[in-house]
Amino acid sequence: MNITGMLHGSKLLNYVGFPTSEVLGPEASEDDIKGMIERHGSVFIKPLFKGGVGKKGKSGLIGRASDLKTALSEKERLYFAVHRHGNVTAKAQGVTFEGAVPAEHEVYFSISDSTRYRAPTITITHKGGVDIEELDPSEIIEVPFEALTGLKAFVIANALSDIGAPKEIVSPLVQYLPKLWELFHHYGMTTLELNPIRMMPGAGGRLVPVACDFKCGFDRDDPRWQRLNLPNQLFAADYSDFEQEINQLRTYQGQSDVYVINDKGTVLAPTFGGGANSAVTEALGDRAIISSDFGGNPPYQKMHDVARISFKHWLKQTNVLFVIGGKSNNTDIETTFRAMADALRDYFIQQGPVPLYVVIGRGGPNLIRGMGAFKDTLDALGVPYRMFGFDSAMSEVVNYALAADEWMRNGGREQVAQKLGLAV
Amino acid sequence: MYQQGVGDFKYFVGIHTLEQIATREDRICVLNILGGESSAVSPVSHAFSGGNIVFGTSPGKKGQVLKTAAGDVPVYNNVREGLADGHRFNTGVVYLPPSGVRDGVAELIRVNPALKKVVIVTEKVAVHDAREIRAMAQQAGIDIFGANCLGVADAWNRVRIGGALGGDAPDESLLRGSIAVYSNSGNFTTTIAQYLATEGWGTTTSVSSGKDVYIHFALPEFAYALSNDRRSKAAVVYVEPGGYYEHNLNFTKPVVACVVGRWKAKLTRAVGHAGALGGDGDDAAAKEQWFQEAFGVDEIFTPDNPVVSARGAVVTNIAHIPLALTRVMALSNQQPDFAPKGDLSLKPWFGDSRGLSLPAELNLPVQEAIAPYSKQIAALDQQTGRHFPRRAMKDASGVSQMDPKTQITRLHNQSILDSSTRPLESNLCQALTGEHNGENDNALVNVAIAGNMNLHGDIMIQAADAAREAGNAPNVVLSAALAMLGPNRIDSARKGVDTLVELFVRSGLEDARDEDFDVSVIAISDTQAALFIAEETDPRAEAMLAAIDARGARSVFIRFLKGLERPLSSNAVLAAISATIAWGPLMRKRISSITARSLPWYLKIYASLIGASADGSLHRSDSYCGVPNDELLNRWTVGEMAYLSLMGEQADDASLYAFQVLTGLLTSNGPGSISAQGCKGAVSSDGPETPERVQINKAMIGFMSHTGFSHGGAGYEGIIFLADRFKHTTLTDAGEANHGLDLIAMADAYAEEYSRAKEEAKEAGTGRIGVIAGINHPVFKDKPVNHDPRETFISELFSGRDDYNVFHDFYKKLVTALFQSGATRNVFCVNIDGVISAMLLKMLWPRFRAGTLDEQALEAAAFTIFLYGRMIGCAAEIDDHINRGKNMDTRTPASKLEVVS
Repeated sequence: MNITGMLHGSKLLNYVGFPTSEVLGPEASEDDIKGMIERHGSVFIKPLFKGGVGKKGKSGLIGRASDLKTALSEKERLYFAVHRHGNVTAKAQGVTFEGAVPAEHEVYFSISDSTRYRAPTITITHKGGVDIEELDPSEIIEVPFEALTGLKAFVIANALSDIGAPKEIVSPLVQYLPKLWELFHHYGMTTLELNPIRMMPGAGGRLVPVACDFKCGFDRDDPRWQRLNLPNQLFAADYSDFEQEINQLRTYQGQSDVYVINDKGTVLAPTFGGGANSAVTEALGDRAIISSDFGGNPPYQKMHDVARISFKHWLKQTNVLFVIGGKSNNTDIETTFRAMADALRDYFIQQGPVPLYVVIGRGGPNLIRGMGAFKDTLDALGVPYRMFGFDSAMSEVVNYALAADEWMRNGGREQVAQKLGLAV
Repeated sequence: MYQQGVGDFKYFVGIHTLEQIATREDRICVLNILGGESSAVSPVSHAFSGGNIVFGTSPGKKGQVLKTAAGDVPVYNNVREGLADGHRFNTGVVYLPPSGVRDGVAELIRVNPALKKVVIVTEKVAVHDAREIRAMAQQAGIDIFGANCLGVADAWNRVRIGGALGGDAPDESLLRGSIAVYSNSGNFTTTIAQYLATEGWGTTTSVSSGKDVYIHFALPEFAYALSNDRRSKAAVVYVEPGGYYEHNLNFTKPVVACVVGRWKAKLTRAVGHAGALGGDGDDAAAKEQWFQEAFGVDEIFTPDNPVVSARGAVVTNIAHIPLALTRVMALSNQQPDFAPKGDLSLKPWFGDSRGLSLPAELNLPVQEAIAPYSKQIAALDQQTGRHFPRRAMKDASGVSQMDPKTQITRLHNQSILDSSTRPLESNLCQALTGEHNGENDNALVNVAIAGNMNLHGDIMIQAADAAREAGNAPNVVLSAALAMLGPNRIDSARKGVDTLVELFVRSGLEDARDEDFDVSVIAISDTQAALFIAEETDPRAEAMLAAIDARGARSVFIRFLKGLERPLSSNAVLAAISATIAWGPLMRKRISSITARSLPWYLKIYASLIGASADGSLHRSDSYCGVPNDELLNRWTVGEMAYLSLMGEQADDASLYAFQVLTGLLTSNGPGSISAQGCKGAVSSDGPETPERVQINKAMIGFMSHTGFSHGGAGYEGIIFLADRFKHTTLTDAGEANHGLDLIAMADAYAEEYSRAKEEAKEAGTGRIGVIAGINHPVFKDKPVNHDPRETFISELFSGRDDYNVFHDFYKKLVTALFQSGATRNVFCVNIDGVISAMLLKMLWPRFRAGTLDEQALEAAAFTIFLYGRMIGCAAEIDDHINRGKNMDTRTPASKLEVVS
């Protein structure tokens, strides 16, 4: 749950009275853009990504124009720009126009929680506006501070003094930067970054810090962000339809974290426990359709819903339904297995049978009753299966599931389909 | 600001050695001790640890106790009360919901100066709160474990604090030895311990650290305390990507580190610089590197490539941990703690290859499970039907669920919209068996109902008639009949089902309709046979048997009982029909044997309710409502018979369809509806823990006594509203689309009338005028286009059949007219009551038009059809509550009651 860019960033900054550059959204008229160029001399044109995408500048995805014609051609270039990072691509949906802010000094500033200091920590440099990873360590400083007292002026003053910041920027930054703590801490953020903050001469020559780019991340376990009344679709791009459907079930009882790993995968593995999830997803590689952690002792209905949604999206393409977890300490196996088995039966009744091989590895309270419930269902559905207790190594069970998938890929699926009376 | 604790940490750390993490001397206070998770976990922890929980808190529950094998743990409203009562503790355990965790920790710190440690089990605590918890604990000098962890445990001290390390059998995993365990994953904390045992390694202290952004007791502190622990010779650590907790560690003892999660790097998006500084450099690959540098190894350990040093090894698969540890320890001549226990090879406990030609690597034979699981598996094989764990079922249901957004209820995971397209006889059974009938089962149910619906000469109809005579509403009339249907009248049928199940359960019978099944192999004793045999020929039984033949229905049990070659009782036939219907779901462990045993009672109740809704004069020795008994038995469906009882005439196709849709729609509104609450209360008060004593007829009366003119009669108000609008028109056939009426003009006229009345009421200051029956369900208001999904469904269902309903059409035009005239601010929706009224009035219109049906009869019809539908849903709730509930579990605690002056 991230936000980048000034279109929404400026609104958030206005809540705490932090000055921002002027910004227009994709709907801006030619007159508006022209007016902005006249006021500011030039404008920056930036693609608008839902959710959080950083390092646009480095990817050549920021345009600058000092006349309307250039501004419009940059708009055309960037309107549907694609940004790639590793396996993840993001597509722009519009652009923003941001008035240029004349300044001598550019400042980088961020607040996040540092696992080194185990405290909220600011990072600041007066040599901002560039990739700060490339700066000399002496020009940049990280300063942890006390969460209960918050970010105070003296923290900023000390930090700026330590890096030898020019004296004309110190006072305005000491005055304005503490306001950002309010935004960060009281609206459920985990990261807030302004880069650059341009130090614009104001009345009487006194510099005013103006935020010219904005990035923030929200903690999805913290409802405080809802106070900001942000439109829901702002975060929609962060999740696939499947992930979004599952996310709606998020409650504090029972984990429900999912990612789509490979939408062409053939092993559907509801996993239980963060460790199992990590280990199994790693071992399954691209065979895995999803990565999931459904542990945390979910109640029946939640587990049933999770399974129902997972099956609705993925069962048709699945070769191996692989239910896997360690020996649970608290999650009730009977409840979770019965819920999954019932959802599987409902799917077969409503959507028709699917050629499947079921592999289960689990331990925990009410294990045998849970396995018994799954067994009865699988027997009724006529699906082949093996269930392993916790005395079989999880990694071996994963290998078994992979072997089952391999067999299904090489003619096994057709054999199972025939057994189920399905046309091959 | 922090207190200087042990070591030279730049923050407070109080734990000097791992021995201090979970000791026998620690005394615990558990916040939210009676919560769902704690009440399951804390009793095991308490007993395992020699009774270390001194008290727990749960607001409003002071005076209650948490029962444990090591004695009761007292519960207080808050921490202060417990302390005031003389209890002392040094460790807090937090099971509060996420939003309450920070304040809970604050309170522990504020009121208890003796506090040293806090374990937070709760997951999904906001980072904001974790930040503040960190700061508070640092100021006060307190060690925090978690959040989002499973707590800490010590195999030497036999103590576990906080979560459920070791599950409900901590002794199985917490084996005393020489290895300390630290894990980001709660589950892996004990999974690793159990894996270690396969190489003969036991454990000292186990720490489940949690995996939130803030890990308060993290690896640097663990490494420090490990150095100082005289018992631990080495450690195993399991970590995942994220955070710099593993950077620059200083281990003084050998460590096997397991790093898992390289795949997570693929999922990350490009982030800003703050993310790059704080996040990008701490992925799994980086962490592997950090550990490799710390141990002086340059590769990952695998069994094929066993790279270790005396300082440690790095693995990426937890199954490799035990071997890696043994190899590391061998370099310093350290031997395992005990002989290896178990092995980690593949051992299927259950399996079925379905006769497929599987390769050898897949076709693994099922092996006997380890004790005690092998015994449980053997017991499972002997178990008939499903067993439900018992719990308080107040306001809870295992069979029905209403979606609060759409108001659509699901019964056994099937939407009532689907039920409305199924035959009534199938819905009657699906409520209890969770599965819809096939044709054979439908035929059997039709016979069961037809055979018990005619109450000629039965005291049930006399009671019903007397109640009717006294002016009671249909629910009271039918209740009077049911009061006569007590357990004695059905006893032999219930025992009959039990006996049939007992006789056939090990016979290999899979399909109760199997014509080829050899019943001669089933040996029945005289005592058992006596349950089924009538002293003299029972005409009802004979007629039912003949009807089963006439319909070509099959039943192994009927065939078997006929083989006794003695006259059978009607209860015997009912038992055989019930056993046939229940057999599949019972053998598939979908239903319990309690449900199977109760099925004849439900069937008899269904039949009696349908029968008693027709006046006694219509019950004759040879006919019912003018239809010969044989014809009903041999040919009619339950839907047709119920329609006959209600309307006194045979339904045409369209009416029958509409009637079945109506009863389907009315089946259930979830466990919160008044009717469901009534029947659940009736079960609860009889005590479901002794299921044989629950009076199912009384439970049905409980449902009916909790219906009335408001709950059940809503359709009636709509009928009267519609009748008022149409009685002065020329309408004769409500199903004729070319009715010649200007519905828009009628709707406009009424909207105007309504607006005027509203305005007048406002001017006169008499307040709001009443709502219009059948529109504006509150849940769907404030939307520009407003459709009740149930209304949409019905609308589409009937338009697909070319089945027009002028009243429904009028309703739809009315909501638009009300909006356009300004009478309502939004377009209201036609709600389900409106739909029901429209359908019912369409059915009744010819007789209403002809003047043969007065308003009271209209109301009785609307009410009765509601009862027909709802009896299905309530049967499901009753059966569910009997199976899962506890005695008197629908009580409301005194603390939740309100006094109103």
